[in-house]
Amino acid sequence: MPQIFTASADTRLRTAALLLAIVFVGSLVFTAGFMNSTYLTSVGWVATQPVPFSHQHHVGGLGIDCRYCHASVEVSAQASLPATHVCMTCHSEIWTGAPMLAPVRASLADNKPLHWQRVARLPDYVYFNHSIHISRGIACAECHGRVDQMPLLARAKPFTMEFCLDCHRDPGPHLRPRDQVTRMDWSGWHQDPQWAHKQLQAFGIQPDKLTNCYICHR
Amino acid sequence: MEREQAEPPSFNRRSLLQAMAASLALAAANGRRAEADERALPYVNAPEYVVPGKPKWYATSVRFAGYLQPVLGKSIAGRPVKLEGNDQHPATGGATDLFMQAALLGLYDPERSQVPLHLGQPATWEAFDTDVFRRTAEIDRAQGGGFRLLTGAVSSPTLLRQIGDLRKRWPKMRWHVTEPIKEDARLAATNRVLGRPLQMLPDFSAAATVVSLDDDFLGPGPRQAMQARAWSKRQPRLFVAEPTPSATGTRAGDRLIVPSARVQILAQAIAGAAGVGGAAPAELAAHEKKWVDDAVAALGKGDGLVTVGAQYDEALHALVLLINERLGAFGKALRFTDPILAAPPDGKDSLGVLVDDMKAGRVTTLLILEAEPVQATPAALDFRSALEKVAFSVHAGLYADATANACHWHVPVQHELESWTDGRAPDGTAAIVQPLIRPFLNVRSPHVVLDRWRGGSASDHDLVQASWQTGWQEALLAGFVADSAPAAVTPTLIDRTISLPDPPSSDGLVVEARPDATQWDGRYGHNSWLQETPKPLIQVTWGNVVRVSPALARERALSNGDEVRLRFGNRELLGAAWIMPGQEAHTVVIGTPDAFAFLDSWRQAGVRLEKTGKTRVIASSQPIQDMGEFDYVRTVESAEEAAAQHKDDVSFYPPRKWDSPSWGMSIDLDRCIGCNACSVACMAENNVPVVGAELVAQGRQMYWLRIDHYTEGEPDAPRHHFQPVPCMHCEQAPCEMGCPVNAAVHSPDGLNLQVYNRCIGTRTCSAYCPYKVRRFNWFEYTGHDPDSIRAMRNPDVTVRSRGVMEKCTYCIQRISGARIAAKIAGRPIRDGEVVTACQQACPTEAIVFGDVTDPDSAVSRRKAGPRNYSLIEDANTRPRTTYLARVRK
Amino acid sequence: MSDIAPSARDFRTVTDEIVDISLDYPDRKAWWLCFIPALLLLMSFFISVTMLFSYGVGVWGNNIPVGWGLAISNYIFFLGIGHAGTLISALLLLLAQHWRNSLNRFAEAMTLFAVICGGLYPLVHLGRPWLFYWMAPYPNTMTVWPQFKSPLTWDFFAVLTYLIVSILFWYIGIVPDLASARDRATRRRYQVFFGLFALGWRGSARHWARWRQSYRLTAAIAVPLVVSVHSEISMLFAAGPIAGWNSTVFPPYFVAGAAFSGFAVVSMIAVVLRHALGLRNLVTSRHLDLLAKLTLLTGMMTAYGYWAEVFDTLYGSDPQELETLRDRLVGVYAWSYWGAVFFNFVPLQLLWWYRVRTNPVLLFLIGLSCVVGMWMERYMLLVTTLYRDWLVSSWQRYHPSFWDWSLFAGMLGVFFTLFLLFVRFLPVISAFEIKEAMFEEKEERKEAGRA
Repeated sequence: MPQIFTASADTRLRTAALLLAIVFVGSLVFTAGFMNSTYLTSVGWVATQPVPFSHQHHVGGLGIDCRYCHASVEVSAQASLPATHVCMTCHSEIWTGAPMLAPVRASLADNKPLHWQRVARLPDYVYFNHSIHISRGIACAECHGRVDQMPLLARAKPFTMEFCLDCHRDPGPHLRPRDQVTRMDWSGWHQDPQWAHKQLQAFGIQPDKLTNCYICHR
Repeated sequence: MEREQAEPPSFNRRSLLQAMAASLALAAANGRRAEADERALPYVNAPEYVVPGKPKWYATSVRFAGYLQPVLGKSIAGRPVKLEGNDQHPATGGATDLFMQAALLGLYDPERSQVPLHLGQPATWEAFDTDVFRRTAEIDRAQGGGFRLLTGAVSSPTLLRQIGDLRKRWPKMRWHVTEPIKEDARLAATNRVLGRPLQMLPDFSAAATVVSLDDDFLGPGPRQAMQARAWSKRQPRLFVAEPTPSATGTRAGDRLIVPSARVQILAQAIAGAAGVGGAAPAELAAHEKKWVDDAVAALGKGDGLVTVGAQYDEALHALVLLINERLGAFGKALRFTDPILAAPPDGKDSLGVLVDDMKAGRVTTLLILEAEPVQATPAALDFRSALEKVAFSVHAGLYADATANACHWHVPVQHELESWTDGRAPDGTAAIVQPLIRPFLNVRSPHVVLDRWRGGSASDHDLVQASWQTGWQEALLAGFVADSAPAAVTPTLIDRTISLPDPPSSDGLVVEARPDATQWDGRYGHNSWLQETPKPLIQVTWGNVVRVSPALARERALSNGDEVRLRFGNRELLGAAWIMPGQEAHTVVIGTPDAFAFLDSWRQAGVRLEKTGKTRVIASSQPIQDMGEFDYVRTVESAEEAAAQHKDDVSFYPPRKWDSPSWGMSIDLDRCIGCNACSVACMAENNVPVVGAELVAQGRQMYWLRIDHYTEGEPDAPRHHFQPVPCMHCEQAPCEMGCPVNAAVHSPDGLNLQVYNRCIGTRTCSAYCPYKVRRFNWFEYTGHDPDSIRAMRNPDVTVRSRGVMEKCTYCIQRISGARIAAKIAGRPIRDGEVVTACQQACPTEAIVFGDVTDPDSAVSRRKAGPRNYSLIEDANTRPRTTYLARVRK
Repeated sequence: MSDIAPSARDFRTVTDEIVDISLDYPDRKAWWLCFIPALLLLMSFFISVTMLFSYGVGVWGNNIPVGWGLAISNYIFFLGIGHAGTLISALLLLLAQHWRNSLNRFAEAMTLFAVICGGLYPLVHLGRPWLFYWMAPYPNTMTVWPQFKSPLTWDFFAVLTYLIVSILFWYIGIVPDLASARDRATRRRYQVFFGLFALGWRGSARHWARWRQSYRLTAAIAVPLVVSVHSEISMLFAAGPIAGWNSTVFPPYFVAGAAFSGFAVVSMIAVVLRHALGLRNLVTSRHLDLLAKLTLLTGMMTAYGYWAEVFDTLYGSDPQELETLRDRLVGVYAWSYWGAVFFNFVPLQLLWWYRVRTNPVLLFLIGLSCVVGMWMERYMLLVTTLYRDWLVSSWQRYHPSFWDWSLFAGMLGVFFTLFLLFVRFLPVISAFEIKEAMFEEKEERKEAGRA
């Protein structure tokens, strides 16, 4: 009866075992990376919008304040998108005939809302309130990024629970003076190392409570 | 809370919110990233004053049995999502009842009739209009002869004006009224004793002693909120004589169980003792005599009031009027005004007259405006067959019900939350009803429907505004027309003669019919919130039962769920028996609307009852109601006596220091009348799903706030207790220890949280919960909701999906709202700033909520009282929800 | 002592006898007769789980208050059974009880499969089973960890550890026999199959030395698990503030019960195997006698647990506890209590007699009765406690639905399928350890001869 396992069989077996181990570890690493990939977090992806609206032009170029269009951001949970007639306040004067703006004019004409694609978005069990963040001096750019540098709007930060918690655990470094909140390029918090701490005091922010589940989930 | 005049936003403007309710309207994934696209639709022209994401409050009213019930409607992005009591209103002062709370679902009910039906087939409004136009031409020729209008009870000035106009045009037309549950006897009695029909308005806050002769004035009905609020202000000493337990009976210090036939004799005895005179009462049994003597003694101390159930006859009401006059109650505990509901032209038999005419063929055209005469009228009338003799019959109503199917035309009408109308509250205060939303179905206001008959084409808004030249704005902002209640009348007795009929026979079994506590006369049969709400005292949902006394059950070997057949004459009624502790031995109680098909009156003697041998599954939310030896509900002899709370909270750990605010609740068991307003309010506020009879029977009901009913002692004459049980928010919560994934955790302000999106459904928390207040989504209850129901959901509360645990959160969305508002304003949260849905709904202010670390807060002051105790403290869970013990008298 | 391991025969025949079973199964017809029903039951498992996952836990009879039903009581039942194997092999190995060598292999296999069944239950009973991995501590974008105070978290660890250790112990133990099977195999596919899993075992002195180290090491790890795992599982109940659960007697009570049901099952299997595979000379009546004694011992310990529970309740005289005791003795589920008492302890008493202990048929029946009894006990402990807890208002009956039962049947299917495959293709008895036992016998006898 011939031997079916040659002397090298053991070696091959060991190699196979080793490979298996490597594959296992590798898959773990891959999963970890995948969970944070922009494929899942949508960071940097541009959605197809009815109108190729450029924040770079309107915010960076013309210097229009965020609140001009996102009017309810200071008083409501929702920042709100601008109504068509807000666009038309200017565009009834300039670029009146621009084909690019045809959908806007159409929207106003037959009273049909524009169908934007949401870029910044949270699951419906997360209750984010813009007004409280603004009033505490969290800049728009903290979550939405430098929209003044985005020709087409894309998500700037991964809206994972981790992202929210990082800030809620240690809000200090993310705070600004209230009047600087909508500025894109502010970087003044390096002047006074104690500033953030003072801000926390001033606003009575208690980080230990900020990480509580019901701050965001109801 | 700011209030606005309605600038009704159209349904498609709830865009932003719709988009916020993610996951519902996902476009197909576009292949570049895992996350699917989601549309966001901004306004085209943003309406003024509307801030996206901010609720707006409109003062309006909902209709019930001809009256208006004042409410404040909470509207988010143009969708009404919650109704609350109008705290400014003179009648209710913010009190609500379960019908008020459930009206919201009535608006969004997917079963609502949506298109006109001609002979049962879908038709168009145009076809209807042309048909009506053709008809009106004929009626014109006959000057209205043969044309009849049938409505429910009416208090709306506009509708009355419209009917008046119609009669001017058609002098020969006639208007009839049907209201299945009515109070004719009271009006008739005032008419006899005081010379003209007057509305009696008992004021229980002005009475020190109230003797109720089978009058359930705290029970369900249009005046429940108003009367319960008044009663709770003073909580007068209460004597009740009744054949079957009622909400009022459970609050009585002295409750006498008598067959309804004895009620008149008790009244005579009291009359005799009060010196009214009249026939000497028949011999009283010992316990009856004692009750009467105590009652008379208490009445003698002043501020006494005697009331008798509306179902008793005119003569008895007249006698009671005389007693009250002698007690000096007139103008104090008992006030009178002119009738608030328009009197039916043909007196109380208005419907009878109509049916006779119909049978005699004198009716050629019949317009039924929001009434259900086919099912909700005594079977003896046989309205259905009479209706067949009518050449042209039209039914206008919310649902394509039995009457609709029996008529040639059915046209769908608007719900009051989407239309303009007006009317009067139970105290007579007039109000204008403004829409919270533009109609999203192809329906018309009843006013418009009626207007079309006289060829008009006005909108409901114009029709209503025409009756209110002045004070329109103010009325809309306040939710009522100030000082519009009819002036109080100080009547003079014109007739002191007492002519009482012989007490009715009580041979054999006596069947008492009672208004259904959750369906009323059947008009709420479509409302699943109300269907799923347990009927107080029997805790039965989805359908009614035949209530039998424990004695009868012993005699006939009946047990809960046995099917029984009631026979009387050639009529019979099948139903499931349900043993009602504290019910008079030979009294059997059935509810509306079943009663209409079986009885012609509210009481019938000589009924036979037999077992069919079958048994039925009863969807009861609480199969066992005998408290046994336990002390869940504690009773003290006097308000000063302590409820035996042992204070020694033993623990191996140092007591935890809670910083302010830290939330807690106190529930006064003496005030709770078990009306379920809180329970329904909770369903509406917290998107609590409805599961249906089958699952309730399996013990899978979802109420976050349940009202337990306990009987204490002897089943034949027990004491009845109601106990609302929300989550106790234990400081030492077993559920939190059990959860393996941190889905049940404690918040720094003392809330016991349930994080739905973290829950994996091990159900350990529920197994460990001593109060079993946690509810589990056994199936996908919400995922298949129709769009209209999704539109109704409260956007501030997560809609739970299959496989997660849920429970009362102390309305955490309201707490968070208040916290954020306070932080932005840079101030602490004020006491009373956070009002939970149940607390707001409660007509008797039994529920108080607030910061327990602040000794001056309302809730702390209550908890400091001697009656305060916590439920099953042996479990040592340190509940934040505590109770005030009942006081015996 | 002569009948612990038969000395009359030589080592070769022992090996042949055992290994040939897997190489050339004696009675294939009988095997298929058992295997086909097992497969049908397995099908019921897949159907039930499909139903469960597509509609939700609602397809079961669970409700509030009885949020846990058959699933959890069966979970405890199966894990309980899974305790005998490790106890027999590991503990008795360390105690150098050679007679266990004829039993340990199939006892361990039984353990393994029972643990698999038990472990499946908590997974499928979740409301959202696809998120079961949230029980495991792993770094995640939610930066949330399991709640380490919860008994369930530790259940998760306990069952997982127990499963891994059981597999290791069983596999290490079987390697030398796989090698002998490989060497005896004539058909190529057997040669390859056994060859691969024998991991190139050549029986060199070095191999044996390594093997002995690892085998004893795993045994040392396994033994404490026997006690810890079921103590942990008892916490699932004992940690709840519910009358009838909240008791310190539970951990020992559960462990005793677990071993009890386990030994009962092992005796049943021993009886069946020795008959079906004609191994009477390897699994002798002496083995049955010892198994029966162990069953009796652990049975009496369990009985003590019952008694202690009742005594505590009466002595503590807490109204809620008394209420629960009353429900158990005379409530609507009294059948489960008295059923447990009867099936567990009444037939058991027969084992005081040697004749009964060594009578295979009787032993099998008694074992069966114990298993039924222990199942009833698990059911009783769960249902009678939950269906009537603190508040009268939340009292509700519990009726397992069709899908509860079909899943239970399916779980039995999983167990039998796996076990029959094991019997069919692997050495059911540890040949080399038998030989070891025989050898030591000889030595002993030599000693005796000299003296």
